Amino acid sequence: MSQKRGCGCQGGPTSEESGLKKIVMVGNPNVGKSALFNRLTGSYVVVSNYPGTTVEMSRGKCRIGTEEFNVEDTPGMYSLVPITEEERVSRDILRDGGANVVLHVVDAKNLKRMLSLTLQLVEADLPVVLVLNMIDEAERLGIRIDTALLEQKLGIPVVAISALSGKGVDSLKEKIASYHHPQETPEIYYGETIEGALNALAPIMPVDRGLSQRALALLLIQGDAAITEEERALEGRSTDFLDATLAELEERLEEPVSYAVAMILHQSAVNICTETFAPPASKSKSFANRLSSWTMRPLTGVPILLLVLYFGLYKFVGEFGAGTIVDFLEADIFEVYLNPWINGLLTTYVPWAPVRDLIGMDYGIITLGIRYAIAIILPIVGTFFIAFSIIEDTGYLPRLALLVDRIFKKIGLNGRAVIPMTLGFGCDTMATMVTRTLETKRERIIATLLLALAIPCSAQLGVILGMVAEKPAAMGVWGGFMLFIFLFVGFLTARLMPGDRPNFYMEVPPLRMPRPGAVFMKTYTRMQWYFVEILPLFILASVLIWLGKITATFDVVVSWLSHVMGWIGLPKEAAVAFLFGFFRRDYGAAGLFDLQQAGALTGNQLAVAVITLTLFVPCIAQFLIMKKERGLKMACAIALFIFPFAFAVGGTVNALLNLTGIQL
Amino acid sequence: MICPFCRKEFVAKDAKKECRSCSSFGGCQKVKCPFCGYESPREPEFVETLRELKKKFRRKTDADK
Repeated sequence: MSQKRGCGCQGGPTSEESGLKKIVMVGNPNVGKSALFNRLTGSYVVVSNYPGTTVEMSRGKCRIGTEEFNVEDTPGMYSLVPITEEERVSRDILRDGGANVVLHVVDAKNLKRMLSLTLQLVEADLPVVLVLNMIDEAERLGIRIDTALLEQKLGIPVVAISALSGKGVDSLKEKIASYHHPQETPEIYYGETIEGALNALAPIMPVDRGLSQRALALLLIQGDAAITEEERALEGRSTDFLDATLAELEERLEEPVSYAVAMILHQSAVNICTETFAPPASKSKSFANRLSSWTMRPLTGVPILLLVLYFGLYKFVGEFGAGTIVDFLEADIFEVYLNPWINGLLTTYVPWAPVRDLIGMDYGIITLGIRYAIAIILPIVGTFFIAFSIIEDTGYLPRLALLVDRIFKKIGLNGRAVIPMTLGFGCDTMATMVTRTLETKRERIIATLLLALAIPCSAQLGVILGMVAEKPAAMGVWGGFMLFIFLFVGFLTARLMPGDRPNFYMEVPPLRMPRPGAVFMKTYTRMQWYFVEILPLFILASVLIWLGKITATFDVVVSWLSHVMGWIGLPKEAAVAFLFGFFRRDYGAAGLFDLQQAGALTGNQLAVAVITLTLFVPCIAQFLIMKKERGLKMACAIALFIFPFAFAVGGTVNALLNLTGIQL
Repeated sequence: MICPFCRKEFVAKDAKKECRSCSSFGGCQKVKCPFCGYESPREPEFVETLRELKKKFRRKTDADK
């Protein structure tokens, strides 16, 4: 397993074959690598796939003085621990060990975000030159970078250039031509536990893999699949020592190794930038930067969040989507024209009552399933997706993650959990899948429970907002109770499931104006996805209800649920809506919406109904995903907790409102 | 494509790997960012093609300068 892998790119001789020195360019995507590559090599380049992959890479030649070099432009990479195939290819090219100079190209404006990779490359003992590209843009923004100090801190040559204008490229060529591998580069200290593991594992790492033994050991403890596989496959070596060291490290470390290493690298990058990178003076700080800071500070971030929720969800989705558009489609189109027409046709031409009931009448495929999907759910989901796409495209969501981190930590989650929680407002089923990205098992269980319990999906949320829009008091009771239950259950679960409170950090991308084209595309694709998915399910639900009706089981279940409805103070007709909720949450919400439009619910009943339905047992699809992600036992435990809990809370709210005599 | 949450760039093929364990029978129109796990709608193919063409064009014009 110790043989060296040649690049062997098609379309031209490799450096080994041609005997030329090799320059390898690495860096994040979109930092101007290709522009620099073209500037160095001219117009003659060979673009080919890396062997065994579909990943493209470019190769060309560059003359510096009298010497000719082979230049390779690698696919974008963010870290030496690869996640995508492109990163794996770039890492493999570096591991070939044939590079005489590695140019790490970074965007000078975003040095802090990109310096972690520089530190990894330096630590791997690669012949790195740091290239600060787009320096002209950075200077225009008022950014100042002390390149001499940066060289000193990193122990490698640093050159500021503009690949587009050519500024600094000559200086870069000189640095390449005169490159000498530094005798000593600064080493990052990862703390006693990780250093212990590195000291134990580095000496047994191979020396001929292009990266330093310490870097290989670091990749190994971070769970790099390729390195782990190679080490385990080494002939004649027992893996006992390796396994024992890794197990001990995992036990002693409070958080996952990859996370701990990323945090230390990030902190080291921040420390270096503090001394070498001068951001624009505060008076020239752009409005976008100020707004960005405001969104993340609790004092200003919470009012901004409330404004986003008020205008984005309440006014646009609740009032416009669930009010104006649904009224038009349901009351003016379906109720006045379509349903009477379908029922008339069925009465005239279909003599069999069961067939009439399957297609039309009260619970038919068209009169119920399609009506719910097109007249109620579609406008609500559509407006929600427009609002969500705008929010998403601005880059507000990562800022929201940092803002809620503080609250989430109190209940045992970190800000990363805002991703599944936010997705839950779109679809709880898919969001449950995303909980696997959370760092610890404890976090994953808490997030799964909270998603199943207290996060309404987009359609359910829209329908609920539409229902309570005319009764702000009922909306207040619903919102207050849901927030209280979310925090209370989360807090209790975190206490019942002891574990560490994880830290959270994430790189925040720049805030920007939403781009109409991108918003349109996101909304269109989301609506297409949603419509394709829900329409068949709504039709299926109608068929199942029809089957239940002709076999009389529907009436039995409704009659049984009616007792529960009575206990929580709802009319017995609401039982049908809750039965719908088993199929899909939004189907149940649409049933309640129908009931409310018919004037069958008082303000108090409305509040109780929406609270109970929001907490209600997850839909079939979400339950199946819960089973898949957390196991059958945990999924059943969560469902068994939620079902009585939802009705208990509904009953309590009803009793409280009755006791206090409050009429919403 | 670029993840709307973390803004890291990835290709649809890498995102597909994340879908293996999904129960949506591969029918959903979403992709999951391999870096942060965030799900977003899959870009229509023509958008991806246009993006690639733009990249190639930029590469060519850079080279011609």
